[in-house]
Amino acid sequence: MSYREKVAWLSLLAMVVAFGPYFAIVATAPPDDAMPNLRQLWLFAVAVAVQVAILLAGHAVFRLRTPEDAREPADERDLAIERRSVSIAYGTLIAGVIMVAIIMPFYAGGWAIVNGAIFAIVLAELVSHGVAVVAYRRQS
Amino acid sequence: MRAGTISNRVRLLRFQHGEMTQAELGKRIGVTRQTVAAIEAGKYSPSLEAAFRIAAVFHVPLDEVFQWQAEPGD
Repeated sequence: MSYREKVAWLSLLAMVVAFGPYFAIVATAPPDDAMPNLRQLWLFAVAVAVQVAILLAGHAVFRLRTPEDAREPADERDLAIERRSVSIAYGTLIAGVIMVAIIMPFYAGGWAIVNGAIFAIVLAELVSHGVAVVAYRRQS
Repeated sequence: MRAGTISNRVRLLRFQHGEMTQAELGKRIGVTRQTVAAIEAGKYSPSLEAAFRIAAVFHVPLDEVFQWQAEPGD
């Protein structure tokens, strides 16, 4: 498995582990719209901290195990996979922004919109890393 | 657009050049071992520049490395 495929898997894992529980909690116990909602801010901060910790630890392990691979720049196939994954994720993000900024204000407000925006970003990131992982697995 | 597939003889050429490893070929053309494996398997079509570099490594014309096979009827 190439270094960049490992990074794609790591990024996907970090996103799922950090934001899976976040959205599970938000869905089961929706936050009230009081601003600032410290419980909600704290929950978001924990999710981001978990994601950063997983990414830092994963990158450190990869760099220690295969330092030569980590130093190698992305080759043309890596860049082609990145272009494809970012392009598809961009479409996902745009759809999410339309939903959050244009449609949601008609029936929701406060934290529902904030979490909708976070969900759109997380979903776009999941799509980006997911497409990269599939492309690397298929060798394309 | 004409339909078809690109085949290649990279594996054979590596064999004929002292069983050159995928990693060594990748290093000489500036791609990873995994990308060479993907090219050999026909899963990834390299850029024209990378294709010329592969041909240059083996000292053969480009069409001895890559072949275009149009689908019947095209």
